[in-house]
Amino acid sequence: MPSMTKTVFLKEIRETLRDKRVILGVIIFPLLITPLLLAAVTFFATKKVIDQETSILPIHIIAEGQLPSLTDKITNDESFKVTFQKDRETSIKALQARTIRAALLIHSDAQTKLDTNASAQIEIIYDQANETSEAAKKRLRKALRNFDSAIVETRLSQLDLKPEFLKPTKIQETNIASKESMGGFILSTFLPYIIVMGAAFGGMTTAFDLCAGEKERGTMETLLVSPASRYQIVQGKLLAIFVISLGAAVCFLGGFLLPIQSGLSLFKEAIGDSISISYQTVGTMLIIVVPLALLTSSGLLAISAFARNQKEAQTYIFPFIIAILFPAMLSSILGAENPLYTAFIPVLNIALTMKQILSNTFEATYFALSLGSSIAYALIAMRAVTALFQRESILFRA
Amino acid sequence: MIEAHNLSKSFRDSKRGLVNAVNGVSFNCQPGQIFGLLGANGAGKTTTLRMLATLLQPTRGSAKLANYDVVKASEKVRQNIGYLSNSTALYGRLSAREMIEYFGRLNSIPEKKLQGRIDELIQRLEITDFQHGHCDKLSTGQKQRVSIARSIVHAPPVMIFDEPTSGLDIMTSQTIMTFIEQCRSDGLTVLFSTHIMSEVERLCDEIAIIHHGRVVSTGTVDSLRESTGEHALENAFLNIVKGANNA
Repeated sequence: MPSMTKTVFLKEIRETLRDKRVILGVIIFPLLITPLLLAAVTFFATKKVIDQETSILPIHIIAEGQLPSLTDKITNDESFKVTFQKDRETSIKALQARTIRAALLIHSDAQTKLDTNASAQIEIIYDQANETSEAAKKRLRKALRNFDSAIVETRLSQLDLKPEFLKPTKIQETNIASKESMGGFILSTFLPYIIVMGAAFGGMTTAFDLCAGEKERGTMETLLVSPASRYQIVQGKLLAIFVISLGAAVCFLGGFLLPIQSGLSLFKEAIGDSISISYQTVGTMLIIVVPLALLTSSGLLAISAFARNQKEAQTYIFPFIIAILFPAMLSSILGAENPLYTAFIPVLNIALTMKQILSNTFEATYFALSLGSSIAYALIAMRAVTALFQRESILFRA
Repeated sequence: MIEAHNLSKSFRDSKRGLVNAVNGVSFNCQPGQIFGLLGANGAGKTTTLRMLATLLQPTRGSAKLANYDVVKASEKVRQNIGYLSNSTALYGRLSAREMIEYFGRLNSIPEKKLQGRIDELIQRLEITDFQHGHCDKLSTGQKQRVSIARSIVHAPPVMIFDEPTSGLDIMTSQTIMTFIEQCRSDGLTVLFSTHIMSEVERLCDEIAIIHHGRVVSTGTVDSLRESTGEHALENAFLNIVKGANNA
C-alpha cells in the first residue's frame, strides 16, 4: 500500500474506532443484539407453536342432520370446546366476531349417505385470514381424516378387502441429509441476507462521516491542501470503509454462529440440534463477501462525496437501499441452485453463492463466475468513485 | 515566492449560468513580504487562494508557488505551502498531537524527525497542556493554535491565509496576526486575504483590491490612500470599488 494511502487509511480507522455510533452499529449490535433478537424470535415462535398445539379451540357444530359417530368423537376431543348450532349464519357471525375459531356443518342427509356407502357432505367454515382459525381447520381436518379411515376400514372389511386394496403403492421416504446439512440448509435461508445487509450498511456511518461529514465540518479542505493526491485520499478512505463494512459482515456472521457453536440450547432449537459450520465454509463465505463489501463501500463513498453534508447523504441513500435490499430479499426466496446468469447479477450473486456454500450445493463454476463478476463490479465502482472525487464541482459544491 | 498571471476561474451554475468567479488576476509576492488580497464577500478572494493552493484548477492563466506550477506540479506546490483558513477545521476525534502528527506524515516528514518537530511546535505554540485532548473538546483559541501547528509542521516557504480571523474573538485573532507577522520575520512568502481593514493596515506590505473577480487596484496601504485622497483605508477601498463599478 502506498505510504500516503496508508497514512490516510490508518487515520480514518483510528478516528472511526473512536466513534461510538460505529462501535455500536458494527460491533456491539451484531455480536450482542443479533443473538438476543434471534433468541427472542425463537422464543416467541416456539411459544406460538406450543399455544397452537395445546390451546382449546371453541368451535360450532351446525348439525342440520344427525351424525353422532362424528359429533361424539369431536365433542369428546378435549382440544375443542364445542357448541351446537342450528343456524349457519349465526356461526359465521361468531367466526367473524372471533368468539369461535371454526364451524363444522353436517348436512341433513349425512347419515343416509354414510349408511349407503356414499360420501356424507361435511363443510368446515373458517377464516383463512386468521391464524387460529386456520389452526382449528387443520385440527378438524385431522379429526375427519381419522373418522374417514375408521369408516373406510369398516367398509373394506364388509367387502372382505384388506386396507392395501386402496393403497397400490407403499411409499417410503428416506432423507439422506445429515443433521449438519439440514442445519446448513436452514441457515442458508436467512444468513446470506443478514451478511449482505451487514456488508452493505455496516460502513454507512463511516462513509458518510469520511466525506460528507468532512465537507460539513470543514476538514475536507484541510486534507485536500496536503500533499496527498486525491487518488491517495480516496483510496485511503475507501479502504477504511471497506474494512468497517467487512468487519460488520464478520460480526453479523459471528453474532449468529458463536452462540450456536457454543451450544446454547435456545439457539439450537431455532435452527436444529446439530448445526455446525466448518472454518472452511466460514472462510469461503468471507472470500465471496470481500468484493461485495468493496462494491457497497464504493457506492456509499460516492453518495457521501456527492452530498454536501451528512443529512443530504441520508436522503440520497434510498435508491442504494433498494438496490441492495431487493436482491438480498430475493435470495431468501430463490433456491440455492439457479441458472448461471444469476451469477452476474450484483448482490444477488453473492447471496446465492453463500446460500450454496451453506446448503452443501456448492458449484465451483457458479462460485468463480460470481466472484469474478463481483470483483469486476467492485473495480468499476472504485474507478467511478475515484473519478467522482477528482471533480471539484462535486467536492466544492456550495 | 508567488507569481499569479492572468489567473481566471469560471464555472457553470444551474441558476446563474456561466459565472466568472475570478477574471485575469495577476500579482507577485516576494519572500519576507505579506501580500494582502482585500475584497468584499464574494469578490473572488477564496477562489483565487484555492487555485493557488491547487484545490481548484484555473480555467485560464497560470501561477507558480515556490517555483512550482499549480497545474503541472500541484503536489510539489502543496508540499511547499501552509494553508490556513476559517474553513480548515480539525478532526474532532483526534487529539491535538495526533492532528499535527497526521499532517506531518502526509507531508512525508521522516518518522525520526517528526516527533521532535511536533514537540518543538507544541512548545512554541503553547499546546503542551492540551496536546492529548480531542480537538472537538478544545476552545476556539486552542483549536487555532493547533491549526497553525498543522499548517507549518512541514516548515513551508509559502503561507496562504484565507480570512483566518473570521468569526474569532479578539484574543484569538491577535494570536493569528502575531503568527502571520512571525512568518514574515522568518522570511516566508505570505499571502493573506481579508475584508478587515485594520488587519490590512497592520500586516500587509502590499495589497491587491479584488472586486467582482478582477484586481482593480494594487499598491501599498499608503499609495492607495494617496491615489484616492482618502485618509482612512476603508474610504480608499470604497472609492476604488465605486470607481470600478462605474468603469
